[in-house]
Amino acid sequence: MKKIWGITFGGLHSKILSVLLVFLLAIIGFTSFISLYKSLTLKKIVEKSGVEQHDAIENVSGDTMYQVIEQSLTKMNDLRAEKLDDEFTEIEGYIKMLRDLAGELFENADTLQPATVPLPDPDNIDQLEVHLLYEEGVDYQHSEYVGIVGNMTDTMVSLVETNDKVESCYIGLADGTHVGVGNGGADKYDENGKQKPFRVRHRPWYVGALEKGDIFFTGVERDAFNNSMNITCSAPVIINGRTVAVVGIDIVLDNIDELIAEANSDTEFVFIVNNNGQIIAVPNNNSIFQLEDSDTAEDLRKSDNKELADFITQALNEKTNLETVTLNGKEYYLIGTPMKTLNWALISVVDKERTKAPTTHLLDEINRINADSTTAFRNGTSKLSKITIIGIILIILIGAISSLFVANRIVRPIESMTDNITGKSGNGAFEMKDLYRTGDEIEVLAKSFDKLSKDTVKYIENITEITKEKERIGTELSLATKIQVSMLPHIFPPFPHRHEIDIFASMEPAREVGGDFYDFFLIDEDHLGMVMADVSGKGIPAALFMMISKALLKSNSMLGQSPAEVLEKTNELLCANNQVDMFVTVWLGILEISTGKLSAANAGHEYPAIKRADGDFELYKDKHGFVIGGMEGSRYKEYTIELSKGDKLFLYTDGVPEATDAEEAMFGTDRLLEVLNENKDASPEQLLKNVRASVDRFVKEAEQFDDLTMMCIEYKGTEK
Amino acid sequence: MEYNVITSGSKMVIELEGRLDTTTSPKLDAFIRNSLEGINELCIAMEKLEYISSAGLRVLLAAQKIMANQGRMVITGCREEITEIFEITGFSDILTIE
Repeated sequence: MKKIWGITFGGLHSKILSVLLVFLLAIIGFTSFISLYKSLTLKKIVEKSGVEQHDAIENVSGDTMYQVIEQSLTKMNDLRAEKLDDEFTEIEGYIKMLRDLAGELFENADTLQPATVPLPDPDNIDQLEVHLLYEEGVDYQHSEYVGIVGNMTDTMVSLVETNDKVESCYIGLADGTHVGVGNGGADKYDENGKQKPFRVRHRPWYVGALEKGDIFFTGVERDAFNNSMNITCSAPVIINGRTVAVVGIDIVLDNIDELIAEANSDTEFVFIVNNNGQIIAVPNNNSIFQLEDSDTAEDLRKSDNKELADFITQALNEKTNLETVTLNGKEYYLIGTPMKTLNWALISVVDKERTKAPTTHLLDEINRINADSTTAFRNGTSKLSKITIIGIILIILIGAISSLFVANRIVRPIESMTDNITGKSGNGAFEMKDLYRTGDEIEVLAKSFDKLSKDTVKYIENITEITKEKERIGTELSLATKIQVSMLPHIFPPFPHRHEIDIFASMEPAREVGGDFYDFFLIDEDHLGMVMADVSGKGIPAALFMMISKALLKSNSMLGQSPAEVLEKTNELLCANNQVDMFVTVWLGILEISTGKLSAANAGHEYPAIKRADGDFELYKDKHGFVIGGMEGSRYKEYTIELSKGDKLFLYTDGVPEATDAEEAMFGTDRLLEVLNENKDASPEQLLKNVRASVDRFVKEAEQFDDLTMMCIEYKGTEK
Repeated sequence: MEYNVITSGSKMVIELEGRLDTTTSPKLDAFIRNSLEGINELCIAMEKLEYISSAGLRVLLAAQKIMANQGRMVITGCREEITEIFEITGFSDILTIE
């Protein structure tokens, strides 16, 4: 673990930090994904709704515009047509009036004074006058017709004067004369001051009325004199099936011009088509239609533009709907209303593109707003992104710092504890500090450490104490072992000057000190005392009991008593203060060295093994008494064995036959006798070694369980 | 070593099993010293006892001493090895072996 700025990398610091960062990143990733997805969806929705809005507005607005235009235009067109028609109807009234008046005059010609009509006066420029015109070569001065119609000139003058729509009125007479009321002027004269002839009967209005036989409107005609554009209304005067005259009124076109001019704008205009499908009125400088003479003007009903041709045809017959017609490659709304009087049609034209202007404007506006809001949205989004990124960085920073802080709060006590325990700070003994009182697991841990540390100190103290005690006891025990061993006769041969006997003995306690013991001593010059004993139990208590037993047995023996007496006496003494129910088994023998006579008594001890000079070792099943120290008043029987030269006596404690191997099989007395007899003539010392080796082989690695004590005496007899 | 105790009234039977030696006898010793109050007939059954050491004999001696004052103690079912040990140590003289 590396440590930088007090932060341990790879430790809890970085683990907590990693966990927090992973957590934060997961949250950020998730929210980013959601917001990205949302913003994409939102963008799609906005775009889609923009398109839908656009289409909807276009459709609705288009429909609305169509309806608005249709309604207003239809109404307007109808009104205009009606207005014009009314004017023509009025003119028609006037012409009928003139026709009827002329008719009456002709019918009552007999009763009338012939009136005279003056020739035009060149000075009457732009002044109303009554004048007489005539065809070339016509004798106007003797015209009967002029005399007749000259009677109605007053009426005609008043018609022109009182009606501003009537520019002039006149009567063309079948004899080639012409009586007119209109502006005079030089235009009716040539450069020579001679009056120009007037081809009355060739004028279109005259011919038209004649051919039609009824009221006739000319197309737009050039005025015969001032070359202005006129429309003339005419009607034949028929007397007895013969047309005698044609009355005519020149209509002031100003009204129509006014109407047309009034209706003319950037987006719309009005034009009028006559019954021949020719345009008779259209705004000046119109890019689509031009006004032309009736003889050259195109019959629009036969136009190459089929839409237009069909429309014009229909418009001359009936009111049309608002129709879309392509003119000069551009779409226009057209609506037509027939004018009944003239069988003309008034047609309004609206630039379809221009009608879309409000829609286009609206759409532009909406697009602009959409674009603005998209930009604003984008700006907002990018601003939001920036804020979000800054926020994320801040969150991560704060998260990192706080997690490091938290980690530090967790780790610092732990580090301190570690240092404390490993001895980097302090002496290695744990000390409770305020730093550890965190109120969480760390405090628990610290308390545990505290307890552990204190326990350990106590334990170490205990161990030290125990070890000291043990060492002390060990020292004492080894001392005790030494004392015990030194208490037993351990110098061999013990009586170098006594050649009659050869003694060897050994004791190996299972623990440091044992309960077994052997002893031999000279009671006097001729008597050898021998003891083989086994105290119940082992260890210090057994050793202590052994010491007293040994001392008592020896001291009692030294008094010269018989073995049974010694045992009985010792038993009494040991029983007297025996609080622990300890006892000792004892075999005691006293050998009269000079004779080989052995007196012995057995207090609960193992049978001794005896080998006669020429025989094998055998167990001597002597009579047993009760163990010593077990019960007061025990009595012991004594027996005597005569030993001869070469006889051997082998004494042992139960540790030998009861030596146990790993399978808990016992060595047993049979094996003991066997090993003794294998080399029965060996010296006592060798015999003990043989037995010992055999026991070792038998038990193998099993622990020595009981004390192993053996003693062997060879009686060599007295010297000869 | 294990032992089973069956008590009925003032009669108690202790069944011994295994080896009664230095290591195992203190347990039985403690039991006997603490549990014999009010018992006037104690039977120690040795059918399953394999070995008894001098420490075990000491426990029997203690029990015998206690029971001598308040009733009687009987040893039953001794194996040959155990009987031999009793013989050798002279315990057969002071114990009632049946």
